[in-house]
Amino acid sequence: MSSVPLRRLAPPRTRRRRSSATPPLRGILPLAVALALWQIFGSDQSVFYPRPSSWWHALATLNDSGVLWSAIRSTLVTLLLAMAVATAIGASLGYLIGRSRLADRSLSPTLEVMRAMPPAAIVPAFLILLGFGRGMSITVVTLASVWPILLNTRTGARSLNVVLLESARSLHLSPLARARKVVLPALLPSIFLGVRVAAPIALVVTLLVEFLVQFYGVGALIASAQRDYLSAKVYGLAVVAGVFGLVLNSLVALLENFALRHHAPNR
Amino acid sequence: MSLRRLNLLGLATAIGLVAIWQALVASGLVTVAYLPTPLGIARALGSLIAGGELAKYGGHTLWVTLLAWAIASVIGLIFGLLLGCFSTVWRYSMATVELLRSMPSVAFVPVSLLIFGFTAKMEIALAIYIAQWLVLVNTIDGIRSVSPQLLEVAKMLRMPWLERTRKIILPAAMPVTLVGLRLGLSVSLILAVVSEMIGNPAGLGYQLVYEQGALQTNRMFAYLVIIGAIGVVLNAALVQLTRAIPGTERRVGGAKQ
Repeated sequence: MSSVPLRRLAPPRTRRRRSSATPPLRGILPLAVALALWQIFGSDQSVFYPRPSSWWHALATLNDSGVLWSAIRSTLVTLLLAMAVATAIGASLGYLIGRSRLADRSLSPTLEVMRAMPPAAIVPAFLILLGFGRGMSITVVTLASVWPILLNTRTGARSLNVVLLESARSLHLSPLARARKVVLPALLPSIFLGVRVAAPIALVVTLLVEFLVQFYGVGALIASAQRDYLSAKVYGLAVVAGVFGLVLNSLVALLENFALRHHAPNR
Repeated sequence: MSLRRLNLLGLATAIGLVAIWQALVASGLVTVAYLPTPLGIARALGSLIAGGELAKYGGHTLWVTLLAWAIASVIGLIFGLLLGCFSTVWRYSMATVELLRSMPSVAFVPVSLLIFGFTAKMEIALAIYIAQWLVLVNTIDGIRSVSPQLLEVAKMLRMPWLERTRKIILPAAMPVTLVGLRLGLSVSLILAVVSEMIGNPAGLGYQLVYEQGALQTNRMFAYLVIIGAIGVVLNAALVQLTRAIPGTERRVGGAKQ
């Protein structure tokens, strides 16, 4: 009769394998081994595969001449300003479009086309129309990264909790207070979903603009190093660009954690 | 596709916006230097198709895109299976994957240029390198998100490893994996175009910067339309193809971009 042990009937105690779990740090091992082997067996004379230590020397030389930091600062300013503008525009337009069925229906095909445009391919068009200045680069990066934020916020605004909005109205909150206390906290997860998608796009487009204009930023440094076949410098600057990517991703994750912990409603 | 019912209002708005653009520029109300008109772009598009430029440059970019995507998919799937199925492998390499994956693709163009020179090989290598991360990461995600209950059932049935993989893990991981393949295809196209823009002078990407330098905005926007259209068509084709595979109808969200 009681051949089945009770334990078997209980729900399985398997840990839910979280697909987004952060991987352990020892996973860096393959990269570290590859770089070490490269360092040991590579040569500084190689045009194609200079040793990692020579990347470092190349960067140090750039740093000594003062070029590196100003380039990094320039890239950062473009990137952060553009992301800030894209988030502000994308979130507010997304909210307005998502709250109005008419606007939503009439604009969605146009928005879909805009989203489908490869962000990198629009860069030459704006180089012609807006010239080569800083304003142009910020505009292009904003335009390339605004769509994911806008579309995600729109989707979030569509399904905004009606009860929440009604209760805000019955409490006679001013429009400003309603936006700050009810709408924004409810939309934050959607906005951040968009920002997370937009951040890497913004970085790629920033570097691409600098690469094409060849005047300011890390992208311009890489372009000139590549033109002169200074391979160690190219590798070193690619690492710098990679660090940008890492820092940007973790920055967005940090902001997201902070904002959601302090402002998101319990769901 | 999201537009099952024809959205007439939306279509009318899109056409209206294009008409306003045409009217503003043609009437001289807006005078931005080099801003093309929709009619001018359409005419340029017609001449590109008739003159054979579309077939020549588009063909090059399309060929590079598809070849790179095919190779990237094979690499991504093999390593994805490896990292997804064996948690020891995952623990000892996933951080490397995440680290390399977050590096911006543009930074690798000069590296690829150094190694391969101004050749199609350079474009293909770059597109493979970037696209395979998407396939890889989404394959891993697909496998690791297989519900524990299913795996428990497999354990209860004492399924051997191979059978468990074939009958449970792969079908359950399929939807997310397919999203990875789809993202990989659009990224291959973008990377082909980008590496033509700042590297190998061939294909649609080079034509974009060439027409920019020649200040031929009509032709440049026509190339932009072509690139966008290729992206949309490739994506739609892949969606249709995957619809034919049974068991993949259910929607998946949260794929890694």
